[in-house]
Amino acid sequence: MSILRHQKATNKEPWFAVRRDLSAKRASILSVISFALPLAIWAGVSYLPFLWHPDVRLQLSADRGDVTTVYIAGDRVSKGYFPTFTDAVRKQNAAIEAQLKSADPLAGVSERSVRRSNKNILRHLAPVLVSNGRIKDDQKKEDALIYEVWRDIAEGTWLPESPALSDENLAIVQRNWAAMSAVSKTYDSDNFISVPLISLIPQGRSANPDYLPSPDQVATAGIKILTEPAEGDRPSMLQRTGHSIRIVFGGFLLAAAVGIPIGVLCGTYSVFSKLVEPFTDFFRYMPAPTFSTLLVAIFLANDAPKIALVFVGTFFQLVLVVSNTTRRLDLPLLEAAQTLGANQWQLVTKVVIPGILPNLYNDLRILLGWAWTWLVIAELIGVKSGLTEFIETQGRFRNFDMVYPVIILIGLIGFFTDQILALLRGVIFPYSEEAAAASANPLIKALLFIPRWFKDAVEQRLPPEPATTNSTSH
Amino acid sequence: MTPPLIDTIDYREQSPAVKDRFDRMKERPVVLSVENLGKTFPTPTGEVAALKGVDFEVYRREFMCVIGPSGCGKSTLIRILAGLETESSGQVLLDGNPVAGPGPDRGMVFQSYTLFPWLTVKENVMFGPKMEGKSGSAVEGEARQWIDMVGLSRFENSYPHQLSGGMKQRVAIARALANRPRILLMDEPFGALDAQTRAQMQSYLLQIWRNLDITILFITHDLDEAVFLADRILVLKANPGEVDEIIEVSVPRPRRLDQAITPEFVATKHRINQLIHPESETEEDTLPFGRMTVEGDDVE
Repeated sequence: MSILRHQKATNKEPWFAVRRDLSAKRASILSVISFALPLAIWAGVSYLPFLWHPDVRLQLSADRGDVTTVYIAGDRVSKGYFPTFTDAVRKQNAAIEAQLKSADPLAGVSERSVRRSNKNILRHLAPVLVSNGRIKDDQKKEDALIYEVWRDIAEGTWLPESPALSDENLAIVQRNWAAMSAVSKTYDSDNFISVPLISLIPQGRSANPDYLPSPDQVATAGIKILTEPAEGDRPSMLQRTGHSIRIVFGGFLLAAAVGIPIGVLCGTYSVFSKLVEPFTDFFRYMPAPTFSTLLVAIFLANDAPKIALVFVGTFFQLVLVVSNTTRRLDLPLLEAAQTLGANQWQLVTKVVIPGILPNLYNDLRILLGWAWTWLVIAELIGVKSGLTEFIETQGRFRNFDMVYPVIILIGLIGFFTDQILALLRGVIFPYSEEAAAASANPLIKALLFIPRWFKDAVEQRLPPEPATTNSTSH
Repeated sequence: MTPPLIDTIDYREQSPAVKDRFDRMKERPVVLSVENLGKTFPTPTGEVAALKGVDFEVYRREFMCVIGPSGCGKSTLIRILAGLETESSGQVLLDGNPVAGPGPDRGMVFQSYTLFPWLTVKENVMFGPKMEGKSGSAVEGEARQWIDMVGLSRFENSYPHQLSGGMKQRVAIARALANRPRILLMDEPFGALDAQTRAQMQSYLLQIWRNLDITILFITHDLDEAVFLADRILVLKANPGEVDEIIEVSVPRPRRLDQAITPEFVATKHRINQLIHPESETEEDTLPFGRMTVEGDDVE
């Protein structure tokens, strides 16, 4: 009865209450939504044409004689420009028809250049054929094959379906085929039509700019690049990831190994603080990337300058953060230790260091995140390498569907590293408040099973201490 | 001065038995001797004296409380005794030897919780002996005895965050005692506890004091606490902190909570109150007169 009433009460809890925690159920629902919402927005913008889609992605292009810019199928043009483009092609066609009806149709044009532009018109159909599966991607320049398809379409024995040709273009195919078949029923490079053909009118469908590929494109590209094995000079994505992780952790661990002792000394002794911190404070405002050329000059190529850059980016912050954390240690703890007889060395080793460890652990988690930021710049200096080199190269070719998976991969590595470290905090520091919460976590339970089992096994071999049995009897 | 509401006896009236007790106490050796102690702090407007010419002695096995209005330098005094601050003038002698810096011969219990959060109760109590380089099962066994004495055997493997405030302070007492100090300095150790826990802790402390025969110097701002615990009460006055009076508490031992209404108890408390608040009602203590009525709540 009372449980039921309690549940009713919790249902009445308001969603919006200032500084009040939500129930665990609501909190986890919202956490899921926090990831689902950006994904849904991305999917919506990608798959619902009316939301954004400012461009037209060409499925069928045409050459214009009056401008130098050439668009091929697959290119994107803005929705504003597309009608201008098609109208220009129509005008061009009308001009050709008008010229053909004139008294001297072939005046002033060379037979060779007409043939060449006619072949281009023939091939403009190829991308439509590839997407319809009629020809393969590597057959786009096999004119004989394409010639046959022109015939099939003109005679109506085969029609493309996705994308289909517009009625206007079907009429153009029939008109051109009539002209071409009058010269030759099959493709003959030497005996190709030398009377100008008219161009197919560009077709396309609305699309987002190339820098925003759709989720399925990114997923497909992601699976592809993740499963591709290493080949020659090109490392696999796993090798690239490993290389990047080595640089991040190399620079970070080096900075921690040098920086933590300095930071602890600064936080403990005013002498070190005043000697080290002013310069460190100044130095950290000099952006680490500005040292990249210097670092390459000092450490030469390969990984050394990259690790050095992560070190420079992390070290100075780390010293300041650690010294600040050390200073925040409760002063009464140090005073109590002194009244208990601890000397200087014991104060540092038995009070300061164990006292700051939980906070130091958190500091290092945050600084590890910073080290990941420096990675991107580090991998671009000297010989480009790792995940960033891949992003750089693919981005240059505007293969943004390849770029996103790598960006997301870096994010996931950082996120999960941090989440695992956060969970482990309660295990490493059993005296902290988080310990109880962490031990209830199923992941931690699984992780802890092995060391617990080991400890139990060792303890069973040791004889029980007699003193223990005495005190428990109280 | 407003006349007292009830007639109280003179706090200095001692029965022969009580007088005899104090006479015998004063024959014991002096553990702590404070001679002409002064402390000044530099401020932007010049030096400010926190303590001036403080003179007193604490006898072996005595329980002395130090009380005074806020800002009288009680905390400065005990911090100098512990060696956490240095005196500007005068000196502190422990068993006749001047003290310099903190040391395990003067155990200290602080008002804030100072247990090391990364150590269990037992490890906290073993901290002092370990600093001396002692280790092994003997130290551990002794630590267990101290924990047992403050009644926390069941919690020897707990971490401080699992203990209540009162339990933490009991461990802090055990930890200070594990060094076998000559004197136990306590700086308002129960100030952060609720009233019930504080009363319980006071009674625990008296039991420990009686069982161990240790010397205690206890800082407090609570009159009842001072009278309940102390043999003698050192009353400090503020600006600068000087010894006002040393009161011998004639309330017989063993002390019980219901002694709080005995004439000796009330007289002693009244005397301290007079010293700390010389004017029982000043203009500053009275709020300006004014009446307000809640609308719709008028009474005819």
